[in-house]
Amino acid sequence: MSTITDELLPNRPMRRRKRIRLTPYLFLAPALIWYLIFLVYPMYQSLVISFMRWDGLSADIQFIGVENYRRIFFEDDTARLALRNNVLWTLGTLLIPTTIGLMLAVALDRKLRGRTVLRAIFYGPAVLPLVAVGMIWAWMYNPQFGFINYVLKSIGLGFLARGWLSVYETALPATFLTAVWGGVGFPMVLYLAALQAIPQEQYEAAKMDGANSRQLFWNITLPWLREANVIVFSLAVINSFKTFDLIYTMTYGGPGRSTQVLGTWMYFHAFQYYNAGYGAAIAWVIAAITLVMAIPYIQRMSRD
Amino acid sequence: MENTMTTQANRDSSASAGQRHKIASMKAEQRFTNTMLYILLSAMAVVWLMPFVIIVLTSVRSMGDLISNGVFAWPREIVLSNFERAWNIGNFSTYFRNSLLLIIFKVPLGIIIASLAAFPLAKMQFRFNNAIFIFFLIGLAIPIHVTLTPLLVMMKQLGIQGTLAALIPPYVVFGLPFQIFVMRGFFRTVPSELLEAARIDGATEWGNFWRILMPLSAPALATLFIIDALATWNELLIALVLISSNDWRTVPVGLLQFQGQFSSQYTQLMAGVLISITPIITLYVFLQRYMVAGLTAGALKE
Repeated sequence: MSTITDELLPNRPMRRRKRIRLTPYLFLAPALIWYLIFLVYPMYQSLVISFMRWDGLSADIQFIGVENYRRIFFEDDTARLALRNNVLWTLGTLLIPTTIGLMLAVALDRKLRGRTVLRAIFYGPAVLPLVAVGMIWAWMYNPQFGFINYVLKSIGLGFLARGWLSVYETALPATFLTAVWGGVGFPMVLYLAALQAIPQEQYEAAKMDGANSRQLFWNITLPWLREANVIVFSLAVINSFKTFDLIYTMTYGGPGRSTQVLGTWMYFHAFQYYNAGYGAAIAWVIAAITLVMAIPYIQRMSRD
Repeated sequence: MENTMTTQANRDSSASAGQRHKIASMKAEQRFTNTMLYILLSAMAVVWLMPFVIIVLTSVRSMGDLISNGVFAWPREIVLSNFERAWNIGNFSTYFRNSLLLIIFKVPLGIIIASLAAFPLAKMQFRFNNAIFIFFLIGLAIPIHVTLTPLLVMMKQLGIQGTLAALIPPYVVFGLPFQIFVMRGFFRTVPSELLEAARIDGATEWGNFWRILMPLSAPALATLFIIDALATWNELLIALVLISSNDWRTVPVGLLQFQGQFSSQYTQLMAGVLISITPIITLYVFLQRYMVAGLTAGALKE
């Protein structure tokens, strides 16, 4: 009996330790392998391709160094226009849907009748496919029969009616407005969650001290929203630089090339103009921007 | 409990006539603010709902009626043939089938892989735990664009380019970061004693995962399932690049195709759009709480 235990004893802790060391990696293996093969490796390949001249199909691949990147920043006017459009889109997203979302959250945090329905209405467009959203709004903006021009004409502002998506000055703002329609829901929901986490005693105490509602908002509410702000702002920037669906559906980058963004310009080069190398370089510019902008977000998400 | 008591005590001690008057006027002020807010919010809600009203009004009438009476007029006659024609000519049955197939295969696969990875990240101590977690999180910021050309080449080499199968690997990969994040957060709320007790009874980690963690995570899994199904149904860019034949188009790619075909047949176009978003809206009406809760769970930690 005792000999058996003696024989087993030295083995046991070792086997145990070994199991503990390997087990986590066995569970992680499928995700890690999948992630490496279908995300990390393609990213790396894209980086390699971005230093090449390649049509994406043939065996004719030529190393040209940073030429593609030089073209993006110093030669290709459309690429710079696309970058500018992305920056405008980002600034607009940081400002407009975020502010509306915050205002809605503050309003709908109160005990209003029907607030659940109202929240559902404002969040609703966020669950639709952007292709459908784009098609709906392209119809709203239709120059002849669209609802927007219909309203303008019926309230005596017919002179403002135009082909919103086919005029240079209005195409980008009109597309952006569509994004606002679908974009207030997410910040609203996040801010609502953050507002509900604020301890009510703080408000009570401040009210006792005679604070008015504006002071309450600036000195209690806003500081408590800092965490939510990091997430809302980071995602606004990241998603703005990823923009593709709405532009592709509504304007196809036009009129001319006036509404091209990096996402669509990358697509056109890589999959329509057979400039896979140049497309990959544009894609990497997008990735570089979003990865840098995501640092505070990822820090926040990985904190315990 | 303590708070209510303090407020109660304060209220009692300060309930002089002047205070009571002040409270009454504050209440009146609040009622006024609420009314104003209510009017403002309702007006905004009308604006927000208007596009839905417009697509319904557009899709249930004839083209002639639309042109002569304008988009906002009540249809002279309710015409449902637009839906029938859109469904048949627009190939929607194929697109629906493809998107549903994708959801059936892709969503459970992705969630299981993510949950498996989330288990050690949440419940085991090992050297690279945090590094691996951050490695996955970085995926949240990676734009799909930067993987497209190599993915296309890879799928050609695997011989599945152009079919639904080609979409599964990238769809799974782009879902992983968020799902791992949510599941890790959820697993951490499960008491470790539960797992420890099972271990003493001889359960393996594998058994613990399937018999304790996964059943306890049913709410989180359901939420992830809904969010991921939605993302799969809505995804455009990857499908646009990897799918080439009409037989394998998903709903968004199919819609684009449809838009090209029916560019000026507005009534049928909107009927098609309405068909494509009806499943989502139905789902949203019934499962709104889960969808929204999941999104916040992913971004904010409780």
